[in-house]
Amino acid sequence: MSEQDATTADMGPDPLIDADQRPTALLQVRDVTKVYGTGHTAVTALQTATMSVEQGEFVALVGPSGSGKTTLISIIGGLLAPTTGSVHIGDIDVTALSRKELTRFRAERVGFVFQSANLVPFLTARENLLYVAGLIGSSKSGARARADQLLEELGLADRAKNLPEQLSGGERQRVAIGRALMNDPDLVLVDEPTAALDTALGRQVVQLLGREVKDRGKTGIMVTHDLRMVEYTDRVFQILDGHLTHVESSTGAGH
Amino acid sequence: MNTSMMLASAEIRRGRGRFASVVSALALIVFLVLVLGALADGLFFGATGAVRSTTANAYAFSSDAEGSLVRSRLDISDVAKFAQVPGVASAGPVGVLLTGGEGPEGELDLAVFGISMGAAGTPNTLVSGRIPEPGEVGVALADQQLDQFGVRIGTTVSVGGNSAEIVGIVSDTSYQLQPTIWTSIDTWRAMRDAVRPELSGEATQINAVALTTSADLGDIAAAVDGTNVLTAEATGLAIPGVEQQNATLNSIIYTTLAVSALVVALFFALLVLEKRELFASLKALGTPTSRLGWAVIIQAVVSSVLGVVIGSIVAQLFGLVIPASVPTLFRPETLITIGVFTVIAGFAGALFSLRRIARIDPATAIGGVL
Repeated sequence: MSEQDATTADMGPDPLIDADQRPTALLQVRDVTKVYGTGHTAVTALQTATMSVEQGEFVALVGPSGSGKTTLISIIGGLLAPTTGSVHIGDIDVTALSRKELTRFRAERVGFVFQSANLVPFLTARENLLYVAGLIGSSKSGARARADQLLEELGLADRAKNLPEQLSGGERQRVAIGRALMNDPDLVLVDEPTAALDTALGRQVVQLLGREVKDRGKTGIMVTHDLRMVEYTDRVFQILDGHLTHVESSTGAGH
Repeated sequence: MNTSMMLASAEIRRGRGRFASVVSALALIVFLVLVLGALADGLFFGATGAVRSTTANAYAFSSDAEGSLVRSRLDISDVAKFAQVPGVASAGPVGVLLTGGEGPEGELDLAVFGISMGAAGTPNTLVSGRIPEPGEVGVALADQQLDQFGVRIGTTVSVGGNSAEIVGIVSDTSYQLQPTIWTSIDTWRAMRDAVRPELSGEATQINAVALTTSADLGDIAAAVDGTNVLTAEATGLAIPGVEQQNATLNSIIYTTLAVSALVVALFFALLVLEKRELFASLKALGTPTSRLGWAVIIQAVVSSVLGVVIGSIVAQLFGLVIPASVPTLFRPETLITIGVFTVIAGFAGALFSLRRIARIDPATAIGGVL
């Protein structure tokens, strides 16, 4: 990862700047631009993107591949530093954190659900959850109770001791959801959760995600190229050639 | 550290097959090194026992002998001269004869040592029986190794028609891989004269003088014209071939240990390469690089320890079936040294993977396939 950009220093939370920005917004992305490379070979992946998402909201980020949605979600999740602009999660300026602080920030405040679950193949479902609890030094007994509770709620109680290879694709993705929620994060970032699943299973997983995010008062952002999945989200943002636009308030929000 | 341990141990427990490959490679290396080490020790101990397992801590030679017992020529009168040097607690003559002899079960290759019993140079590794009295003739100590030829207390060994009754058994006193008998200077001279008639006129010649001393060796040598003095250890190393053997075998041993570091480095480099995607996602989830590094180091150390344990068990078993004629000696000190070096080599091998782990970008966990 590159160093944080100095131009983010003057960006403080200011509710007057953005009309659609509500004071309760948990996530505030302001004028984020990402340029890869320099000089002739420079490519602008993201052009002054601004968005805010409230607590309890589950939003979709859609766009064709190469549009910049991966770049945006990586910046929001503290995996990539923007060239300019700022990202605030609650009162934390993510773009001002050091690399070490970012690692800690991701463990404590962000839950990730990756494309193909990416569970640790040699840890059981339950151990996959306990692993992330270990990263923030949770008490062992507390973590065990929480892992069991999450697995129970996700319908995986009888799969707790199974290794990922013994689980179906849908079960794996549910374990990944449990892992994302394990440390009670503010933000849940979901990257193409249906990529490895068929449509029916994909719907189930997204529906479950939406419900978990809303019920727990998290803020969820899901990157997807599958427009059929947006019906489970509250709002949809679209990215085209690096330009972010707020498309619509999705109906049927989450349920 | 806790999460590192969790990753490290779960992967080993649930991926035994792949770790078995690196553990068996290390076990084979440890086995090879231990057998080489046993051979090195066996050769060294077999060559030098006669100057290590005695009461002497230094030996005086004629200055043209370059520390070689068989080449050195001193006179029996030199013993008294050395005894008078301040700081010399005891001085005793040493006569050496490499020869053939007759034991209870037939012919033997022998090194006969003529000494003054009780003075410096007397074996201090008595296993059974007694040390002959000073001046007692016609008796000898025999090395334990001669047991396989039927030489025991009460039997006789003769050289050139001069026989000596065995009254005590000593251990670890071989000289140039030959088993030894230890007798008085007079008996030794009689044996020498019988097999080397050309020397029979030299009634006062001995080879060297054994010393028990705390004085400076240079000062001692200066006190007696035409002599030089070496420590017992240096005397052992001056025996033809010993130092070269040690150097050759040790260089093979240390090269092989370096190979084990490479084996570990390659294995874990491959493993890390294979787990790039997993490590990227674990970093994205908030795992510090250091914890992933520790997981690999823990695995490397555990693999090396297992390799050492298995390799040394196999080496010990091999030691039981190795023919007695092969000079091998399995010493706990060598085992510990080689074990420690192997684990250090494993640790060092794992360090090569750390940079690779550090370079994995957590941002690659997102996006990817589509």
